[in-house]
Amino acid sequence: MKIMNVTCNDRDRIFEDGTLAEWAALEAHAANCLLCAEELRAWKSLSFSAQELRDYTESPTLWLRIERALAEEAERKTQRAERRRWHSFFQHLPVGWQMAAAGAFLLVLTVSAGWFYLHQPKDGQRADQSLLKSKALKEVESAEATYVQAIDKLAAEAQPLLENPATPLLANYHEKLIVLDSAIADLRAQAGINPSNAQLRYQLLAMYQEKQHTLEEVLEAKQ
Amino acid sequence: MGTMGLALPWKARISSTLRERGTRVEPSEQFTGGLGAVAADAASEDAALAAACRSGDLRAYERLYATHGARMKNLARNVLGNPIDAEDAVQETFLKVQRSIAGFRGQSSFVTWTYRILINTCYDARRSRLRKKEVANHDSEETPRFEPRAPGAHPSLRMALERALAKLTQHQRDVFLLYEVEGFRHAEIAGMLEMSETASKNTLFQAKKNLRQMLEPPRSSAAEAR
Repeated sequence: MKIMNVTCNDRDRIFEDGTLAEWAALEAHAANCLLCAEELRAWKSLSFSAQELRDYTESPTLWLRIERALAEEAERKTQRAERRRWHSFFQHLPVGWQMAAAGAFLLVLTVSAGWFYLHQPKDGQRADQSLLKSKALKEVESAEATYVQAIDKLAAEAQPLLENPATPLLANYHEKLIVLDSAIADLRAQAGINPSNAQLRYQLLAMYQEKQHTLEEVLEAKQ
Repeated sequence: MGTMGLALPWKARISSTLRERGTRVEPSEQFTGGLGAVAADAASEDAALAAACRSGDLRAYERLYATHGARMKNLARNVLGNPIDAEDAVQETFLKVQRSIAGFRGQSSFVTWTYRILINTCYDARRSRLRKKEVANHDSEETPRFEPRAPGAHPSLRMALERALAKLTQHQRDVFLLYEVEGFRHAEIAGMLEMSETASKNTLFQAKKNLRQMLEPPRSSAAEAR
């Protein structure tokens, strides 16, 4: 191969974009030119030094990390594609079919709403529940009325003794019965406002029992 | 541009290896005619790899990693300055390839496209790191700080080169790393950095000229050496 002639002025151009022949010519020129020889050495040294920046040591876990990340991404991609397929399925339906699908959906919605409306608890069922409550209350009130009647009979028998008490004991019984009657009247008034309050009913029953005992004691005192 | 104060033992480093390297680096791109068949093989392999990756075959990605993983990590490490960020960047690159492989139309080779994504990912990581530094009111040093790695034959030479590289422009540094360190051809670098082949050659020339200025021994010691 014939070696072409190059000068020091060609050096930079050859460094930048020289052909193989030009490089050979530069090498030949450098054999007789100290400056170009130094520049050529320095230039090539940079390429050699660059190898120091090469570190291709294996990273044992890197591929495993990447593989896991790729698998997760592929999974997400599949899910997204699934969603897109449904979306595009509806998008690509003819308008008539889209209308039909919307109508069918509306129909299903209406039927469901109707079913729930028809199967919800009715007023009658609610009335039955309240009837049960009032039935129990009526039983209580009926028993109470019978009890009150029985006590009234006792009171009628004790009435003459209490109107003109012969002894201080009978006078005390009279006063006690007046207080009990007053308390009974109060409790009955409250029970009238809140008839299902069981606590009031128990208190009222206790008062009646106390009145019954007191009347019995009055009648015993007479004997 | 000032010198680095660390003279490179130029003469000591000129060896047969250097000659080989020099032959690969500078004029090898002129031999394109005789390598036609090899280039065609490489192109079809590249296309097959791209097609396998597009089909979602994880083994194809593993093949890509086996062939280029170490080089990708090394490039990312040289751009970002530490191996942890480099591994993150490589992982992110593989994910980006997987996400956008459907849009790859073969304008460049698949591998070139992958490296372009890697470089952009490294830029993003550096920008993000810079923003975090600014938020934390720390020193907003833009150049990467290099962490220690496996010692080479000339650790002081490597450190000097890393410091000098940090002072180059981003393009000069990237072209130097891709060409001189990773061994890519100008045509490939042009595809990766979206520049012309001529621009790649010119940028490499400027990068080496600047590095030469930064790393050259002081004139006095150079004269003594002679």
